[in-house]
Amino acid sequence: MSRPELRTPRAPRLSRLSRPARANLIALPLLIVVGLVWVYPFLWIVAGAFKTQTGLFTGGASLMPDQWNFDNFRRAWVDAGFSRYFFNTILYAVVSTVIELFKSALCGYILARYEFPGRKLLHRMIIATLFVPVASIIIPQFVLVERLGLLNTQAGVILAMSGAAGALYVLLFIGFFSGIPSDLFDAAKLDGAGFLRTFRLVLPLAKPVIAVVVIFQFITNWNEFNIPLVFTLGQPDLQNLAVGMLSFKGEHSVDWTGFAAGMTLSVIPMLIVFVFFQSYFVRGLAGATKE
Amino acid sequence: MALAPASPHPPDTATATATRPGKVARRPKPSSEPPEGNRERAKGRDRLWVAAFLVPFLVLYMGFTLWPLIATVYYSFFDWSGSGPLDNFVGGDNYSRILGDPLFWQAVVNTLLFAVGTTLIKLPLSLLAALVMTRKWLRAKRALRTVFFAPLIIPVAMAGLVFTYLLNPSNGALNSALHGLGLTDGTTDVFANRWTALLALVLISVWQVFGQYMIYWMAALQNVPDELYEAAELDGASEWQKLTRITLPLIRPVAVVIVMLALVNAMHVFGLVVTLTGGGPGTSTYVVSYFIYKQAFGSMPFAYGYASAAALLFSVMAFLLVTSQGLFVRRAQKMRKEYGV
Repeated sequence: MSRPELRTPRAPRLSRLSRPARANLIALPLLIVVGLVWVYPFLWIVAGAFKTQTGLFTGGASLMPDQWNFDNFRRAWVDAGFSRYFFNTILYAVVSTVIELFKSALCGYILARYEFPGRKLLHRMIIATLFVPVASIIIPQFVLVERLGLLNTQAGVILAMSGAAGALYVLLFIGFFSGIPSDLFDAAKLDGAGFLRTFRLVLPLAKPVIAVVVIFQFITNWNEFNIPLVFTLGQPDLQNLAVGMLSFKGEHSVDWTGFAAGMTLSVIPMLIVFVFFQSYFVRGLAGATKE
Repeated sequence: MALAPASPHPPDTATATATRPGKVARRPKPSSEPPEGNRERAKGRDRLWVAAFLVPFLVLYMGFTLWPLIATVYYSFFDWSGSGPLDNFVGGDNYSRILGDPLFWQAVVNTLLFAVGTTLIKLPLSLLAALVMTRKWLRAKRALRTVFFAPLIIPVAMAGLVFTYLLNPSNGALNSALHGLGLTDGTTDVFANRWTALLALVLISVWQVFGQYMIYWMAALQNVPDELYEAAELDGASEWQKLTRITLPLIRPVAVVIVMLALVNAMHVFGLVVTLTGGGPGTSTYVVSYFIYKQAFGSMPFAYGYASAAALLFSVMAFLLVTSQGLFVRRAQKMRKEYGV
């Protein structure tokens, strides 16, 4: 592709030939440098997972571990409670994502396809509450969960997490299902498909939206801080990673290397989820936002 | 366009659409409407299914969104610590106390500074990144996308702790880097000063959520029809012209929604503040959600009523900030009609 002798501004047609290559030559190094800065904290964590306390302390910005052992991982996983936080986080994220998906897909389908009294009102209320800050309604949520007797239980956290969100996802599903040509539904009806059969027929079409909801909600739940903090104030055993980490800060001597090891372990599953779903992700969002 | 309609309507739809059953409320373009049959009237046994499908969402929505909204208003008129009956009605007392509470106002100012600051930084940068990442010629797109997306998967408290270490004044990475470059030989403690602490919060938050906004923009860019670029190419348009004449105008409706999401998400900021600064130094990086948390759950006696009043004021402010964009939204929708996208 490279024809250096012709690459002058005076030869537009020929320089266009090599333009992709040239653009890559400029953009890639730049992006790689920025990308390295971007992932530096990650690399620092991973390096720290192998360092000794003193190695970490004197290492400064260095990414080179002074040792290679796995004791940090054992300490983090077993002693510091990372395994517990980790499984809590997975439980909360998975269950509330499933609930979120279930309720918003069903509701979005109905709002897009069926006419019933109050449909427009409901639609408008969902939109109106899209932008309510979580912090401003957490007290009554807390009171509700307390009255249900679910405070300091896993069910309480999950309920609050999957109850508080959802407006955006319902809108995504409405957008998707109302974009499906009605011929498809007519054909299903002619074939004698009932309500449920029809739904089962069109649900798989919504895969891109489902992927978006799963990724969004999984990440949101994985990182959720406010709700688990407030709803497990009396029961540290039920904290997720986000909240459990906080206790590291309060203690006098912090096991930083164990902490780094724990983080390394707990970030891996999310990275896999993203790498696995990422092509769906952009496509799904684009599809869902398409008129 | 499922994201966009979120914004515009609360003020103007309330009057208009209730009597037109076949029309989708969110869409201003009758011409592109699917035929009436797209929305069926439920009958007979289907009605039971419709109800059954709505129940899961409705129950959670009422319990965890609608009722809490109403209850927040109600609690805000009481002096209530959360236990015991709600019987100490104080009227507007909580509000007059809040309005005179310098800490609340500081929290409001900090929240707004943070929200506007992060939005101003992350949106243009992530748009730029998305523009680059959607170029056909670019190599290693997947890897780069993952790199920029990665911080989003660190639980916020972890990010907070990592950065407290990286930025710590004695031996953190920032200080050793500054020493290495010979810029300073003292210690730089960004969390000792209100402005640097706020700046650190803003930048770390940008670092963390950048990937999410990049993906929003990429989705928006995907919706611009290729034919427009091809036509522009035939007319000899430069890249810059294509960007300013085609891309930017066409993604504007989505851009408005992204801006709103960005602002509202930034106004939620809580975890980063708790883990990075704890509101400090002193109380100088308090944000509203942290203020509410501290009042409601932070120390005995809990002040649920007072915190509810603060929460309500905060909601109203968030709402005003967000809907003040209604004007832009309407203009953007007009544009969309013109361009037929």
